[in-house]
Amino acid sequence: MSSVDDRIQSLIDGSKVLLFMKGNRAIPMCGFSAAVIQVLDRTNVPYQTVDVLQDSEIREGVKSFSNWPTIPQLYVGGKFVGGCDIVREMDSRGELAPLLRTATSEN
Amino acid sequence: MNAEDIRAKIEEALPGSRVQVRDTTGGGDHFEAVVVATQFTGKSVVEQHRMIYSILGPAMSGPIHALALRTSTPTA
Repeated sequence: MSSVDDRIQSLIDGSKVLLFMKGNRAIPMCGFSAAVIQVLDRTNVPYQTVDVLQDSEIREGVKSFSNWPTIPQLYVGGKFVGGCDIVREMDSRGELAPLLRTATSEN
Repeated sequence: MNAEDIRAKIEEALPGSRVQVRDTTGGGDHFEAVVVATQFTGKSVVEQHRMIYSILGPAMSGPIHALALRTSTPTA
């Protein structure tokens, strides 16, 4: 593992729900990141964000780390869940909130 | 790269698939694709999206700025 992979892994290990995004929760810098924030906020589950625009190493690194070419990327309980389309799809099927609640209630 | 190029690339890689691609802004860089393919059978949505990303390859980090995806298998 390269050092950037280690950094990404420790970020993921450090949060039960982690969103790699452009911008931050208050000011998303991309429509797709904003859409995921909107969905996550509605679930009332605590989550952390990483602003890839502040860190070019992570911005490129997370794409190969996840084998996923786009940002945003959501990790729940250490596992890659998907990007904006998948998060919205899971939310509309009522699958996202239970997943987040299970992950955040585990020790 | 236009919507037609993307559609052709996906259909070529996934023979028999049904692909619709729309240029959402008219600017040639934001697209929306709906792909129905038997090749998705047994794969998670994450894997299905990864298949499309790998078909489009380097275009994903260049000319295509955004690609909204909806993938599914044909319903019998």
